[in-house]
Amino acid sequence: MEEIFALCQRDILRFFRDRARLLSSFAMPFLFLIIFGSGMSGAMSSMFRGGSDYSSLADFNYMKFMFPGIIGMVVFTTSIFSALSVIQDREFGYLREILVSPVKRSSIAIGKVLGGTTIAVIQGLLMFVFVPFTGLKINLSILIKLIPAMFLVAFTLSSVGLLIASLLKTTTGFQMVIQIFIFPMLFLSGAFFPINGLPVWMNFLVIINPLTYSIDMFKKIILETDKLNPVLKQAMGLNLTLFGHQITIFNEILFILILSIIFVTLATIKFSHNN
Amino acid sequence: MNDIESNFNNIIKVKSLGKKFGDLEAVKNISFEVKEGEIFGFLGPNGAGKTTTINMLCTMLKPNHGTASINGYSILTSSNEVRKSIGIIFQENTLDEKLTANENLSLHCRFYRIPKKERENRIKEVLDIVELGDKRYKIVETFSGGMKRRLEIARGLLHYPKVLFLDEPTIGLDPQTRAHVWEYILKLKEKAGITMFLTTHYIDEAEICNRVAIIDYGQLIALDSPDELKSKIGGDIVEIITSDNEAAKKEIETKYNKEVTENHKVISFKVDKGNRFLISFIKEFQTPIKSINLRRPTLNDAFLKLTGRQIREEEASTRDLMKKRMQMHRRR
Repeated sequence: MEEIFALCQRDILRFFRDRARLLSSFAMPFLFLIIFGSGMSGAMSSMFRGGSDYSSLADFNYMKFMFPGIIGMVVFTTSIFSALSVIQDREFGYLREILVSPVKRSSIAIGKVLGGTTIAVIQGLLMFVFVPFTGLKINLSILIKLIPAMFLVAFTLSSVGLLIASLLKTTTGFQMVIQIFIFPMLFLSGAFFPINGLPVWMNFLVIINPLTYSIDMFKKIILETDKLNPVLKQAMGLNLTLFGHQITIFNEILFILILSIIFVTLATIKFSHNN
Repeated sequence: MNDIESNFNNIIKVKSLGKKFGDLEAVKNISFEVKEGEIFGFLGPNGAGKTTTINMLCTMLKPNHGTASINGYSILTSSNEVRKSIGIIFQENTLDEKLTANENLSLHCRFYRIPKKERENRIKEVLDIVELGDKRYKIVETFSGGMKRRLEIARGLLHYPKVLFLDEPTIGLDPQTRAHVWEYILKLKEKAGITMFLTTHYIDEAEICNRVAIIDYGQLIALDSPDELKSKIGGDIVEIITSDNEAAKKEIETKYNKEVTENHKVISFKVDKGNRFLISFIKEFQTPIKSINLRRPTLNDAFLKLTGRQIREEEASTRDLMKKRMQMHRRR
């Protein structure tokens, strides 16, 4: 355990020491939420007001809607890119120092995954500085529910990242895979637009996308969807169903948990086998 | 068991170890033993198989055949015990440069499960040995090349290894820093009395070792103390530069019946009692001599005799330069 914790702590230490990385991590969310979000919110609101039930849809706020998606985006990208540190450690030589020590290969893999996970959760929490711009009301109980949820999602994605890094071994290859798979998955997850009334093909891609369920979980927690007006909830695409079954937050937790176990196992095996 | 007990003083035992990379046989069936407490050197040109051998001994690479044991543990079956018994200074830098010296060292303590209450003392102790105590809380990135090497040596000692492997410990360092690093290594040997296994292609560094193994094309071609290796050559070496080397070579061969070699326009040959020989030689020699030199044999001569070629330090040093440049490039 000690060595897993040590590896994890090293990544966190490096994260906080890298001021440039820390600052730039705010850039994309800011762009999406403040610029894109503010720009779209007027258009979105007027579209919603055009609907049948004027009064219940009036308080639709695109920035509010988008915030859980932004948290998702930050957690996904941070955790998956955290695996780049394994490739960097190999390039800069530090991996040899770890590999030649008595630390088990599996402990190294877990330590790396946990390091990425922790950084992603911290990054996700840092995004709450944008809350005042969105008009959301965040209380402690939301945060207490959200942290384990972010942790679970980040753990899964960090494992996916480590798996990709162990398969590809180069920075460029890694980045290519992220561009081709992860970004489309992010856009098809309902992070940026409500997932209702989508074309059939797109709906299919949304439903098979694991990130959809992660984003939906964040939305359920942050927007407190069970307290929302049912009409508004429907309009915001928050009634995620699969084969006529309404997906609950517990379904989502279970699903992501299973995925995390699969991916962390695969990543650990692949990493140990490589080295 | 019997085997281990009978060789109690041999801390490293290598038995017909071999490694192939595709068609290339990097290490061919080598066997040797290293005594506890000695400085053991692996001398050979670049690509001779030194690093491959070290990597196998450090359990970083699986041999294709043969086996070895360190501190009584087999590298094949008890790799974890082997890893606990050894410290390694790799050819390339393996420090985390974004962290401080202290952070690098305390991470190492945790990887090797050094008890919490001992860590502070050990970190101080090893930093004192390499005289980096005042740099403890500085970021490694700001260190000079020599300081980084010293810090790596300190880190390699933290868990009190039985054997310290040094793979080209002074590669890419300027001559002054090289000498400095050696000072620390020798001090270490006196203080801690640990066994040191080092590879080098610098002749002068090999001279410091208690015993030297000469390795070329993956084969062990000689193993002895530097003095013994040199004495096998016998006598002294005369080096001359003449205005007509071809004529001079013929003259030496016919007149004195000596075997001559020419390297970079310097003709050299071996004589007994060189100081007396020189007087008559200068008087009698027909071809005009531009310069003349008499010296004791070096390990390079031993290597030359055993392999028929020089270690070629100048070629090695340009390779070092390339290696360094590539590392810098990668680091950018």
